[in-house]
Amino acid sequence: MSSEHKENFRRLAWTMGGLLAALGPHLLHLKPWVTGFVLAVCAWRLLAERREWRMPGTPLRALIALGVTAAVILGYSTITGLDGGTALLALMSALKLLETRTARDHTVLIFIGWFLCLAAFLYAQDIATAAWVLPTVWLLAAALLEVSRHGQDGSSLRPFRTTGAMLLKAAPIALILFLFFPRLAGSFWGAPSAERALSGLTDEMSPGDISDLTLNDIVAFRVRFSGDPPPPALRYWRGPVLSEFDGYSWSRGDAQSIYRPPVDHVGAPVDYTVTLEPTGQQMLFALDMVERWTPGLARQSWDFGLRTRYPVHTVLRYDARSYPRYRAGSEISKALQNLSLQLPRGRNPRAAEFARNLRASSGSDSTYIQAVLDLFRKQDFYYTLTPPGLERDSVDDFLFNTRQGFCGHYASAFTMLMRAAGIPARVVAGYQGGDWNPIGGYLIVRQSHAHAWSEVWLADSGWRRVDPTAAIAPERIERGFESAFQGGELLPGGLMRDSNFWWQAVMIWDNVNERWNDWVIQFDRASQEELLLTLGFDDPDWRAFGLVLGAGLALGIALLFFWLAWEFRPRRGDPAVRSYRRFVSRLERRGIESPVGEAPRDFALRIRRLRPDLGVTALAITETYLRLRYLPAPSAGDLRLLRGLVARFDP
Amino acid sequence: MALSRGRIYILPTGLGVAFGLMLFAMLLGSLNYANNMGLGLTFLLAALGLVAMQACHRNLETLIARGAGTEPPFAGKDAIFRIALANPGGAPRCELETSAGVSPELPVTVAAGGESTVSLRLPTRRRGTIVLDSIEIATRFPYGLFRAWAVLHPAIHCLVYPQPAAEAPPPPLAAGVAGGGTARRGDDDFAGLKNYHPGDPPRRIAWKAFARSDEILVKEFSGDAEATPVFDLADAPGADLEARLSVLARWIVDAHARGVTFGLRLPGIELTPEPGDAQRRRCLAALARYQAPDPDVV
Repeated sequence: MSSEHKENFRRLAWTMGGLLAALGPHLLHLKPWVTGFVLAVCAWRLLAERREWRMPGTPLRALIALGVTAAVILGYSTITGLDGGTALLALMSALKLLETRTARDHTVLIFIGWFLCLAAFLYAQDIATAAWVLPTVWLLAAALLEVSRHGQDGSSLRPFRTTGAMLLKAAPIALILFLFFPRLAGSFWGAPSAERALSGLTDEMSPGDISDLTLNDIVAFRVRFSGDPPPPALRYWRGPVLSEFDGYSWSRGDAQSIYRPPVDHVGAPVDYTVTLEPTGQQMLFALDMVERWTPGLARQSWDFGLRTRYPVHTVLRYDARSYPRYRAGSEISKALQNLSLQLPRGRNPRAAEFARNLRASSGSDSTYIQAVLDLFRKQDFYYTLTPPGLERDSVDDFLFNTRQGFCGHYASAFTMLMRAAGIPARVVAGYQGGDWNPIGGYLIVRQSHAHAWSEVWLADSGWRRVDPTAAIAPERIERGFESAFQGGELLPGGLMRDSNFWWQAVMIWDNVNERWNDWVIQFDRASQEELLLTLGFDDPDWRAFGLVLGAGLALGIALLFFWLAWEFRPRRGDPAVRSYRRFVSRLERRGIESPVGEAPRDFALRIRRLRPDLGVTALAITETYLRLRYLPAPSAGDLRLLRGLVARFDP
Repeated sequence: MALSRGRIYILPTGLGVAFGLMLFAMLLGSLNYANNMGLGLTFLLAALGLVAMQACHRNLETLIARGAGTEPPFAGKDAIFRIALANPGGAPRCELETSAGVSPELPVTVAAGGESTVSLRLPTRRRGTIVLDSIEIATRFPYGLFRAWAVLHPAIHCLVYPQPAAEAPPPPLAAGVAGGGTARRGDDDFAGLKNYHPGDPPRRIAWKAFARSDEILVKEFSGDAEATPVFDLADAPGADLEARLSVLARWIVDAHARGVTFGLRLPGIELTPEPGDAQRRRCLAALARYQAPDPDVV
């Protein structure tokens, strides 16, 4: 390979490396054919560069571009959404690789790389993404340094190191901008739309859904209580309320005409702040029974669940106040009653008949409820994480056949048995319990805490929570679900809860994540105003922002200025040179300049012509200097002489 | 000549403007989606741009440029001006582009405390002096987002020799021979070897020397008639002074090539015969200076 060829290859490798790193976080959601196409083009391009193959011509490239756009529209059904847009960006960067020749083409690719980094943050802002993106930004900037140079000798450039040093200098300025650049209260255009599949509770529940979720140790949300947290048995986090049953699975159902029944809150409230991880759903989670929450964020629907206007795609923080003791809905409207008694015709006939018989033999609704719970407790029902699959009539199959289930199965069966006996009932999905993080002093609620229970309406007490799981596995409710399986099944992370050291490490790491959410992702207008208050601004307005931002930037740039001046400061070089420079600068102050191109000796002769009085000294200094500089072994005596002469030299 | 703060200008390049637009788009997107990490990324890149601007400026600051000699050309050829760039600072100065007029040279890098020399080529039109009055030292390092530059006026003079006449009559045999001796053709004493020219008698070719190297050399003997000619402007034919100087230049170049000792006589100037490169330089310089037109300033 010629040296020019090698240069091209080097630049290509840099750019491609940066681009692939920027694509890294997107591999999770890009369709495989997009990833495959990009990788194939990269490989082909590298080979083409090495073997000196010809690049495809403009018509072929245009054809590929059209085909790729069409494929994105077909595959993603849009090119404007986040998924489609990212896929298009990735594919276009691959196409650009097919015509990369000039430095300009390379810089376009590097800019695309930075956009891909931004897109990665639109998907997730967690520590892992940040930890990936930061080196990627570094790599891309280093690539820009590499492709923007013109000189032949790039060996002294050390792009990665140089860029690293510059990023280090940029960091304080970036921090000041981050802290004081005013955030928007709303948004310029529509809400973000990341169509990402997230695991978590949804508005639908089929048998086995919750036990699948339980295998997932991912954090659902974290809660910080302003007082003492409620006891474990009261930690019921209400999520989607499921009122529609199709015989197999439950869903939320659509009930526009139902009004929310009034709630009487009793006793002491619990105040807390929830930091919710992205769910892709519209519900928020709150302790039963929630009374107030961050205003404007959500509204409470007729089933007491909190719903937001848009699906939650970013980390969301909200305050809430709940009353563990409450009395909800002393009366029930006809529409709500109908919905809460709905059963699909002809499905689960054995269960329906069993319910009617059992209700007939029970004196009241309360005794009937107790009888059903006793059934779960006393007969051979098993609480298991890995229940067998159920047939189409899921309740019949569960009650009379498999008899092995997780909380979802029990809640489903219980609710169906209530409805069949004429008691309004519904399934509530949510989370129960949580891990207390002693290091950060907050509660971690994970997907593995997902739970389902029932809510029944009784004329004397309104909507009441009944948790059939508490009947079959009471320790699940009291001490967390691990204890329900002791000595039995192996739990996800079950080992880790045995090891104290490991458990502590997990808690510290979770604390770091919580701080990250709190300080970085959730840093908003309110946090900024709080910061300005601590800086001494009584009533922070845009002027305060401008003042602090301007002053901070000035400070940052001044810091940068001195940093660079220090880096570029003259090294203590040859002492003879320093003495001679002093001599020249003294003459310059008297208007005698040493122009470019004049040798020291000529300079000295000129001084003698201009200032005969200085001539002898100037010649002596110059000759001594030249001896020190150009003789093979400069003598220490000459250096002393030169210093003495320069010290006394006073034009 | 040191590049001081006041001499250095800086502006964003086209790439820098594009970078700014990209940052603006990223800012809008991040603000709209209230994406703090996106904002962080945008601000980090913006700060990187600021640092790059400062570094670009610093890359030139306190750099010392000085002339490091010239190579006088014959009229019509390029004059070469060597500029030494000295870096008194403790950080390397990368990608320095030095240019005179329109021809930027390949960028050079000057190590911390080091020095690099660049050669600037300037085309010449006529005999006399060419003065390099304006050089631009520029840099786009790092990233090419900004371009800093400084214009220096070093006023470096370079002689331009008259172009040797393409066809010139041989110098007159009697052209004043130095030392008063009479030109006498003879084969008396071996004096040395010179390059072969068509017309040299074959019997004088040094075959032994030819066997050792590829050059055809001819034995020379002192007492050759043109051994020590002194070229006189009065002897040179030509329509005008320039043409006659060209003829003189041709004689000098040829005489030097043959390794002959030669001298030069111009009105008011007498250079006694000597051999060698220094003599050639002296004689050609005398020709360049003789009644020279006003210097060309570039």
